[in-house]
Amino acid sequence: MTCPNPAAPATDGHRLSVLALSAPVAMGYIPLGAVFGFLFVQAGAAWWLAILASLVVFAGAAQYMMISMVAAGSSIGSIALATLIINLRHVFYGLSLLNKLPPGRLQRWYVIFGLTDETYSVLTTMPATTTHRQMTWIALLNQAWWVLGSAVGAVIGAQAQIGLAGLDFALVALFAVLTVEQWRTRKSAAPFWIALAAYGVACLLAARHALAIAIALSFAAGLLWRGEPVAAGEKAND
Amino acid sequence: MIESGYVIWVIAAMGLVTFALRALPFVAAQWLQNQSAVQRLGQFLPLAIMTLLLAHSVAGAAREDAAGPWPEAIAVTLTMALQWRSRNALLSIAAGTGAYLIMRNFSLL
Repeated sequence: MTCPNPAAPATDGHRLSVLALSAPVAMGYIPLGAVFGFLFVQAGAAWWLAILASLVVFAGAAQYMMISMVAAGSSIGSIALATLIINLRHVFYGLSLLNKLPPGRLQRWYVIFGLTDETYSVLTTMPATTTHRQMTWIALLNQAWWVLGSAVGAVIGAQAQIGLAGLDFALVALFAVLTVEQWRTRKSAAPFWIALAAYGVACLLAARHALAIAIALSFAAGLLWRGEPVAAGEKAND
Repeated sequence: MIESGYVIWVIAAMGLVTFALRALPFVAAQWLQNQSAVQRLGQFLPLAIMTLLLAHSVAGAAREDAAGPWPEAIAVTLTMALQWRSRNALLSIAAGTGAYLIMRNFSLL
């Protein structure tokens, strides 16, 4: 349909390579989705809400964060703000995919909706022969794994009562993994150390608002920072 | 039991914010690419914010743990070291969380 490559392989080959590209994501999304579904139901939410969250939000770290905030009865505004902070990185993902996404409206907007860290990394590293149709299928399959995992976890969570302290450490571990992956793509580790220092300073200033203060400090540092050479548009407003 | 009506509103708000962030570059690409501030923040903020979320969540877990902060520090270091070497997110998260569960529930530290 929106195939840019006239010599594309037959449909069977398409399906196979889409599955091959999506398989590593399935290995991560099914168990991590299951942990989300399990913890969300254990926190006191109805099982179908775990599935709804994975269908509508589809953002791993934000959904993990939502568990404790919803359990504490946080306001919708503060949950939205926390989501904004956690998912802010996605703004910068799209900029590198501008001309790669399918042109068809429905497919295009669906792929944009599904631009998680994992889908982004598959789409930026896929073979050059990948068609737009395949990109859509990869995004769709990746979300299917996430929803499937959430459903399995929610069903288990609704039946079992496991009194293990610390299973929610999975969120900390997820942040640790995302930090390493962000670090890997940078030439400089300065943002890591500056952010740690900012958090230390913020804890000393006002421990209760440490995260908000540290984010403000990091914003200021990011605006002043000249560490890595910037490609296009650098001199535009200087 | 958490009230479902409240959770539905939370999900709607989170879905809207997440979609808006993912869509922004595609509707405002030209403007974003011409802002040098955006370019600089794009180089700096993703790693900085993820580091802050990590630090904040570790601090939160350590506060709730009578034996903290050593189990948290060990589990995070293990997770990051594994991810650095293997690039296998599931392995890193499972090993880090597993190690943490053992330290917390069998009070090894």
